[in-house]
Amino acid sequence: MKLIKALALSAALSMTPALGHTAPETSAMAEPGGGEILVANVNGLVCDFCAQSIRKIVGQEDAVQKVHVDLSKGQVRIDLKPGKKLDDAAIEKLIRKAGYSLVSVDRNVAK
Amino acid sequence: MPSRYLAAGLALAALAAPASARPVSYAGGWTAMQENNGMYSSLHVHYSPTATDSIGLYVEQNWDMDQTFTGLQYNRLVRRWNAPQSQGNLYFKLGAGVADPFQGVEAEAASFAGIAADLETRRVFVSYDVRARDFGEDESVSHAARLGVAPHIAEFGALHTWAMLQVENHPDADEPITVTPLLRFFKGPLLVETGYTLEEEEFLLNWTWRF
Repeated sequence: MKLIKALALSAALSMTPALGHTAPETSAMAEPGGGEILVANVNGLVCDFCAQSIRKIVGQEDAVQKVHVDLSKGQVRIDLKPGKKLDDAAIEKLIRKAGYSLVSVDRNVAK
Repeated sequence: MPSRYLAAGLALAALAAPASARPVSYAGGWTAMQENNGMYSSLHVHYSPTATDSIGLYVEQNWDMDQTFTGLQYNRLVRRWNAPQSQGNLYFKLGAGVADPFQGVEAEAASFAGIAADLETRRVFVSYDVRARDFGEDESVSHAARLGVAPHIAEFGALHTWAMLQVENHPDADEPITVTPLLRFFKGPLLVETGYTLEEEEFLLNWTWRF
């Protein structure tokens, strides 16, 4: 039981920073006059814990400034850096790498 | 059958078929999964080189029998169904290592294989897990199933809460059927579960961290 108590304490302690931390959407706010905004319509977006993978995978892409996942709409909003492009094939590859299925991409979405 | 083999077999039969966690992360991701209940504690740390495979260390300590299994576990996402309002998964798990039983008894090679499936919407979760073990003269199969409901549907990045009921069947255990009501919380990359197994009168505490 001592080990269980120690493990429970470690789990509680490790949880505290996560609960107190509001995870940033991968990067700083978009600059004024920022880049293109895309909305990827994605299937399988039902679990926040699993969808963290999208923020990790898509957010690491060089062209991406910010990523936001909308579970209720099944959408991933991708704000690109000014002057950067990301084609549908690249988006599809990123979404699949994160474990999901891309349905379509809407471009030049209003901010 | 020598009593030590029977007892060791029972301990290995307590290698539960945990229905709690999806064993494959995103490509390039690491995951640490730890489970504690009245029968055993386990730790599985794995790496997912792809979105369909993971491999890592699996260690389990059986409290009743004071025995340890140490080995490697490979997980394969056999099939995923991504739908607009749901996701279904089918996994295959394979483990091989060494079971270290009673003091004075030599460790023996051991292995297990399992299949896990789950289906989830934003409100409901169901899963089923079956695991077969092979430890010398002991070969056994255990099952686990979960049904969960999200009383509140939270948005991305917020704290999520699920109420779940877990039912397990370990045919060779003193209590073959156990029921565990539990709560699951997750926010960001951290997931925590806490519950109470009615038949064993023991608490359950699991956590998973993806990094």
